[in-house]
Amino acid sequence: MRGDMVLAWSPDEEILEQAECGGAVTSLLKFALESKRVDAVLAIKARDGNRYDGVPALIANPEEVINTAGALHCVSPNIARCLKEYLDGAFDVKIAVTCRPCDARAIIELAKRNQIEMENLILVGLNCTGTLHPVTAKQMLREEFGVDPDDVIREDIEDGKLTIGLKDGTEIEKDLAELEEKGYGRRENCRRCEVGIPRMADIACGKWGANGRKATFIEVCSQKGADFIEEAIQVGAINVEHPDSEAVETREAKDREAIDSARKWQEQDFVDLRGMSIEERFTYWTGQFSQCIKCFGCRDACPICYCLDCYLEADRGLVTEGQVPPDITFPIIRIMHVADSCVNCGQCQDACPAEIPLARLVHMLNRELGAVFKYEPGMDVSAPPPLGTVTEEELDMAGVGISLS
Amino acid sequence: MSTGFEPKIIGFLCRWCSYPGADLAGTSRIKYSPNMIPIRVMCSGRVDPSFVIKALNDGADGVLIAGCHPPTDCHYQSGNIKAMRRYPLLMRMLEQFGIEKERVRLEWISASEGPKFAQVVEEMSDTIRQLGPLGWRKDAVE
Repeated sequence: MRGDMVLAWSPDEEILEQAECGGAVTSLLKFALESKRVDAVLAIKARDGNRYDGVPALIANPEEVINTAGALHCVSPNIARCLKEYLDGAFDVKIAVTCRPCDARAIIELAKRNQIEMENLILVGLNCTGTLHPVTAKQMLREEFGVDPDDVIREDIEDGKLTIGLKDGTEIEKDLAELEEKGYGRRENCRRCEVGIPRMADIACGKWGANGRKATFIEVCSQKGADFIEEAIQVGAINVEHPDSEAVETREAKDREAIDSARKWQEQDFVDLRGMSIEERFTYWTGQFSQCIKCFGCRDACPICYCLDCYLEADRGLVTEGQVPPDITFPIIRIMHVADSCVNCGQCQDACPAEIPLARLVHMLNRELGAVFKYEPGMDVSAPPPLGTVTEEELDMAGVGISLS
Repeated sequence: MSTGFEPKIIGFLCRWCSYPGADLAGTSRIKYSPNMIPIRVMCSGRVDPSFVIKALNDGADGVLIAGCHPPTDCHYQSGNIKAMRRYPLLMRMLEQFGIEKERVRLEWISASEGPKFAQVVEEMSDTIRQLGPLGWRKDAVE
């Protein structure tokens, strides 16, 4: 039933050893394949064992799922785009997808635009408090932790601390906020993210609430998720027990802390932009965008950008062909088209070779528009994007006045 | 203080209400600042925010979007409401980029509101004359 919670762990010793928590996610993915509920599983794998090179892996053989066990915090692949572009939106294949909240939200936004077939997906949501850029992570490990990045076998972000585990068994812990003040730590948009528990997926899995035990706390978030978990329990794919109220409370408390921290970061990231005067803003952004080389990386990476006939291409007449850096129209148009539905995945800023703070700008606009449109992107597949819809109330009202406050 | 600057305003006028409204201002021989260049679109809902940006980028100092009165007058039922929804997005965007809010305006002007049309254009021309040229691009079309 939706809202049900269980503490789960894998019955398989090998999975349990490699797992981040209880190995339940790995076992569930295996079960999904073995029971033929899905044709394949889409998860992240460390390519050639390199923790800083995490790639989406499509797996059809249940025995190979174990290669994706364990959380990789130093990578941030674009799962939603991968599904849409390389797996044809899952229209003709059933897939179980492991997804962070931003991935799940992006998938839902694409589903609203008929780019992904959610009926064919099982969204195995993963709790997330943020990931790191591989390059920043490696630099941080060398300079702040004083270790060789290749010696790291696990990372953990908990209670404001970043802890790394090395091959030789030692652990080093550092204060996350301090690291982030120095420019290390999590990706910028991750720091601002308030959505740590992917309740918009079918199940939400994580370590909050496991309270030190090697178990995965699973919250059932949809009927599909409920059926999936029930069957998995019945055939013994995972072992479960009911979490006590302390576990549930701990989880809630950690979520609240994460949200508080995210809001502080939002304020911090946006305060400079909001505080600028009109002239300063103009100078700032024209300066930033004068570094744009029109690589289209932002557009190609953004999960919301799905148009086959993009407005930004030269043949649409809005952007001048062959002009680099492009007019400021180029980034402005792109941002305006996605701002109402931005899920703060940060892929645009990651993709930008000129390191323009794109995600910061769009996320800030999206937060303000969320209040105007009363719309949260990526949460409910049945809530249509605001710019393309009209409500009954609007059709009934008279004397329309627009307030921008 | 007159510097001789005359603003250039692009007006996206909807074919069913606002454009005839503008025509009425003309046939009624109402005098108003000749600073607006009309572009007829079938519906105010046709106006993508990128049109406004392109207009400003290409040398316009202001943009007017005019359509039929919501909720009932739109020839296509709800195109004007969609224009209305795009407006906060557009305005916040412009605000972020340092473009004064007064340069872009969304108005509802019906076919019988000739005087209103003239008044809106007069007001906008006046406001933008005070604000000065946008000067967004140095090589903008004259």
